[in-house]
Amino acid sequence: MTIEVDPRRARPFPFVVAWALLLLLFGVSLWTAFLGLGLWAPVIQFGIAAIQVATVFILFMRLKGPPSLKWLFAVSGFFWLLFLYGLTMTDYSNRKGWPPAVPVSSSQQVHPPGS
Amino acid sequence: MPDRGARLLEVQYANLAHQGETAELGIWAFLINETIFFGALIFTYYFYRLTYPHDFALAARDTVLWCGSVNLAILVTSSLTMVLGINAAAQGERTKMIRWLVATCALGFAFMLVKGYEYYLDFQDQVVPAVNYVAKSGEGPAGELFWVFYWVATGLHAIHLMTGVGLVLYMLLWRIRRGEITPVYYTPLEVVGVYWSFVDVVWLFLFPSIYLVGRS
Repeated sequence: MTIEVDPRRARPFPFVVAWALLLLLFGVSLWTAFLGLGLWAPVIQFGIAAIQVATVFILFMRLKGPPSLKWLFAVSGFFWLLFLYGLTMTDYSNRKGWPPAVPVSSSQQVHPPGS
Repeated sequence: MPDRGARLLEVQYANLAHQGETAELGIWAFLINETIFFGALIFTYYFYRLTYPHDFALAARDTVLWCGSVNLAILVTSSLTMVLGINAAAQGERTKMIRWLVATCALGFAFMLVKGYEYYLDFQDQVVPAVNYVAKSGEGPAGELFWVFYWVATGLHAIHLMTGVGLVLYMLLWRIRRGEITPVYYTPLEVVGVYWSFVDVVWLFLFPSIYLVGRS
């Protein structure tokens, strides 16, 4: 009996390339930590993490391909997360004194955040 | 005697393809919960990091960068070995599949070994809140808050990873040994692979949040 192999499972090459890309991006992320980029550092590092995660989702977690309903499930997870973030930030961004205009140590801060 | 395909088919499904697609959607539905679970945790961390940038940067400098980096490389590599194991299952190469899955398990244990050593170093460095925490010079009380996040986040991640190792061992010692993973139906292994890579994804976000803060 001949086995019909799923074409997405036939070759290791795309996965090996994705693995090398993930490690390369990890190196870049590590490098940015020592560049003194200030507030931009976490933004860039989180951006790199997002690219890495997209690679893992699409290739390693096989989001690409049937059943396409998987996309709806994956996107709905992020949708609810954004909903959670949005509601929380609507509250906090309207509170007085957050985020602090000048970075302070908690030992200097008189009131807890949001009070 | 029913053939192998019929033996694997549960009564509520029309065929194995139907059963497999349902299982795949099931793991994705579970991962929605996990996304919100870890997403809320990471969001809380960034909220406090924005509130106390000075203390968080100072406290985070004491994290063991090389342990976090080695563990990231281990996890990314384990995702590759996992997927190569699933590929071997799809191609009917049983020996290769077992080898790749054993490598995945070994990498999972290697991660825990490095993590354990890192926890030991952290304990020596006196950064365990409520146990032996000693604030560094110039660090306010919020520095301890960073370490609370560190222990909670990495601890929860480690529990998830050990669950993943358990699932791969279950595949190796039960499902594969009983001949239930075949080129015709290997969805259980595929589902474990999706979960395994999700644990990898969580670390990809935790790594810059924990280890790269306050380094420059």
